[in-house]
Amino acid sequence: MFNFAFNSFYEALYMNGHGLYVWSVVILVFISLLGFFIGYTVKIKKIKDKLNEPN
Amino acid sequence: MIKKFIHQFASPKTYLYQVSRFYKYIFYFSLIIYIISIIWGLFFTPEDFVQGNSYRIIYLHVPASFLSQTLYLAMAISSITYLIWRVKLAAYLIIAIAPIGAMTTFIALISGSIWGIPTWGTWWQWDARITSTLILFIMYLGLISLHNSFSNHEKADKLLSWLVIVGAVNIPIIKKSVDWWSTLHQSASITLTDKPSIDPVMLYPLIGSIVGFFGLVICLVLLSSKYQILHREKNKSWVKDYV
Repeated sequence: MFNFAFNSFYEALYMNGHGLYVWSVVILVFISLLGFFIGYTVKIKKIKDKLNEPN
Repeated sequence: MIKKFIHQFASPKTYLYQVSRFYKYIFYFSLIIYIISIIWGLFFTPEDFVQGNSYRIIYLHVPASFLSQTLYLAMAISSITYLIWRVKLAAYLIIAIAPIGAMTTFIALISGSIWGIPTWGTWWQWDARITSTLILFIMYLGLISLHNSFSNHEKADKLLSWLVIVGAVNIPIIKKSVDWWSTLHQSASITLTDKPSIDPVMLYPLIGSIVGFFGLVICLVLLSSKYQILHREKNKSWVKDYV
């Protein structure tokens, strides 16, 4: 069940010609998640800073 | 009695303090599960006999697709809760979930299109599953735009709730589209009633990726709802104490 499915690291990247499709989806998902996490963290920090400002 | 219970435990203040308490545990647990499952699926599962290695997109596409529909259902439940019991938190959750639902639907559409190139020979087909998912994406964007166009938050919440409930009719259509119509998209590999049609070697990392992605998306909803509460309740004294 836990056998490495490829013979080399290059083969794992290339995936018999399907690597471009698979890795582009991996990048899309991770960038989307990261972007949303960073975006909301920044938005919360900004609103907290604004609320902490002395009137 | 139900109203009293809901109002007591679903107050924005209680929710915000609970979110801050549990967030990091859910986040780290989900992140670890997701990364392990993705690595397992991408590198340690065998090549598919028919699709070759392109099938590995399943570990990213299926969780996003599942969440795109689940989040809309969560919005519909929040809408009903808001309209019946006037729970403010439910209204905040609707608009907090919408952008994340749009993101997961976008991932589902794009990853599906990319998967379609080596598998079907085309990146797009106006078939029932893909078209109904595109409608879901447009609905998410429409709901966000509509909410932003209102200056009166209460009016926006009410209108949005009704629209979300009406739009929920699209969810069973997406789910059943592969059974009702002849489509390029395959039938569901995992159902609650039947034995999975996918081999266990490929199934376990898929379940892990769904659980991990689900947890990460929950974390995003918690962050988004936290922002909504701070933004909408900023004039309340307890918010100043909280920050």
